[in-house]
Amino acid sequence: MKRLLRYLFIVLVLTWTFLPIYLMLKVSFSPAEEIMSQNPPLLIHSITLDHWKNVFQSGNLWQPLTKSLAVAFFVMILALLIAAPAAYALSRISYKLGIGIILLIFFSRMLPDVQMALPVSVSFIRLGLLDTNLGLILSHLIRVLPIVTWILLSVFKTIPIDLEEQAEIDGASRFQIIRKIALPLAAPGIIVSAIFAFLFSWDEFIYAMYMCLGKKTLPLMVYYYVNRAGWFDAATFSTIIAIPVLIITLLLQRYLKADYLSGAIKG
Amino acid sequence: MKKLFHNNWKFLFLLPLLTYLALFTLFPVIKSILMSFEGGNNYAWLFSHFQFREALSNTILITIFALLFEFLLALAIALFISGGGRRRIIQALILIPLGIPTIVVASNMRYLFDTNGFINVVLTRLCVVNIPIDWLGGGVLTLFSVVISDMWKVTPLMMLILLAGIERIPKDLFEVSEIDGASFWQKLRFIILPLLKPFITMALIIRGIDTFRIFELPLALAGESFPVLSSFAFFEYRNYNNPHTAAAASTVLFIIVLLAIFLYLKLVGLPNEETA
Repeated sequence: MKRLLRYLFIVLVLTWTFLPIYLMLKVSFSPAEEIMSQNPPLLIHSITLDHWKNVFQSGNLWQPLTKSLAVAFFVMILALLIAAPAAYALSRISYKLGIGIILLIFFSRMLPDVQMALPVSVSFIRLGLLDTNLGLILSHLIRVLPIVTWILLSVFKTIPIDLEEQAEIDGASRFQIIRKIALPLAAPGIIVSAIFAFLFSWDEFIYAMYMCLGKKTLPLMVYYYVNRAGWFDAATFSTIIAIPVLIITLLLQRYLKADYLSGAIKG
Repeated sequence: MKKLFHNNWKFLFLLPLLTYLALFTLFPVIKSILMSFEGGNNYAWLFSHFQFREALSNTILITIFALLFEFLLALAIALFISGGGRRRIIQALILIPLGIPTIVVASNMRYLFDTNGFINVVLTRLCVVNIPIDWLGGGVLTLFSVVISDMWKVTPLMMLILLAGIERIPKDLFEVSEIDGASFWQKLRFIILPLLKPFITMALIIRGIDTFRIFELPLALAGESFPVLSSFAFFEYRNYNNPHTAAAASTVLFIIVLLAIFLYLKLVGLPNEETA
C-alpha cells in the first residue's frame, strides 16, 4: 500500500513535469486544424513539419538565432576573462579582506533586474549602444558575472593552497603557479562555468526586453509570437531555445547546485 | 612593474570585476533611485495609482502562495527522493524544468491556461464547465495560473536546497527513531523539520526574493491585465515613456529586496558555500 502510494506520487509529479513540455512539442508538430478545432485531441494524432518549415523559410529565424549565439558566445568569453582572475584572487585572499566583495557579489544576484536595466538602457540610448550586440553583451554580464564568479570561487577554493605555497618556495612565479597548478586543476570547473555563462545569456529575457528594439533575440521572438497568439511559431521557437539548454542541463546534472542557481532561475 | 605585480596581483585580478560592478550594478542602482525623485512626486502618484497598487498586491500574493505551495511540494519530493530507490533517474527527471527557459515556460503554460487551452478542453470534456474559463484575464484566476506556472519552474530548485539539508541529517537518528517505533509523521515533526530549519529559512528567503522580482511569467501570461512590480516598471518605461515612475516602482521593489537581504543576514548569516 505504502509502495503503491509512493509510485502514484512520483507518477503524478513526473506527469506534471512533462505535461507542458509535451504540449510544446505537440503544438509545434501538430497540423493547425487539429489544434485550433473546437475539440482538439489530447494525444498526438498526426505529425506535420509545416510549422518548422514555416519558421525556417520565413526569414525570421536566422537574425535572432545568430544574434543569440553571438551574444551568448561573447558573454561567455568576457565572463571568463573578468570572473576567473577575480575568483582566483578572492579564493587566495583573507576572509576579512574578501568578505565585502563576496557580499557584493552574492547580493548583487538578488537586486531587481528592472532597476538596473532602466538606467543602463537610458544611458545606452545616449551612447548609441541600444539595439546593438555590444550593448546587450554588456548588460547580460550584469546577470552572468556574479553567478560565474561565485561558481569559480568555489572551484578555486578546492585547489589546495599548500600546493601553491610549495611551488612558491621552489621559486615559481605567480604566472607559473597559475599556469602550471591552478588552471589545470580548475579546468573542469572553468568549462562548466563557461557553459553556464553561455546558457544564462542564451535564455536571458529581461535585459533583452530593455536593450533590443528592432533586432530581437530568440527569447524575444517567443514573446513576440505569444503576444500575437501565434501558437505554432511560439512553440517552434520555444523548442529551438529549450532543446540545447535541456540537453546540457541533463549532462551537467551533478553541477546543478542550489547555490549556483539561486538568483539565476526565477519566474 | 614585476615587484608591483608580485605584491598586488590580487588587487589587479579583482580590478576588472570591481570596475564592472561599479559601472553596471552600483551606479545603475544609485542612478535609478535618483531618477525616481526627478520629475514630480512619483511616489505619491504611484501609491494613488490603481495599477500600481494592484501590481504591489499581486506581487505580494504571488510570493505568499508560490512560496507556500512550492515549499510543501518541494519537501514532499525531497523526502521521497532521499528515501526511495532509483534515485538518480528520478532526480534527473524532476530537475528538468530548471533546463527550460522561463519565457518558454510562459509560452507552454499558455497552452494549458488559454481559453482554448488544455485545461479548458479537459474541463469541458468532463462537463465540469460549459463555457471555457478565462484564466488569464486578470484577478484570482490569473493569480492561480501564475503561481502554478512559477511552481512548475522553480519547485525543483527549492527541492535541491531541502534535499541538501535532509542529506546532512545523520542516518543513525533515523535508525534510533525506527527502533523506538516512531511513525513517519513523528520523524518528520521531531527530527526532520527541526534539523532542516536553517535550510528552510534560507530557501524561503532566497526564493522569496526571486518571486518578488517575478517578470516573465505574469508578463507573457497576462500582460497589463495582471501587473506585478517588475512588469509595471517595464510598462511605465516602454509603453508610457515615463522613466521616472518606472524608477520609483523599481525602487519600491529594491527596498523590499533590501529588507529581505537584511532578514537573510540576520537569520542565516554571512554567505559561504555551506549556506548559499
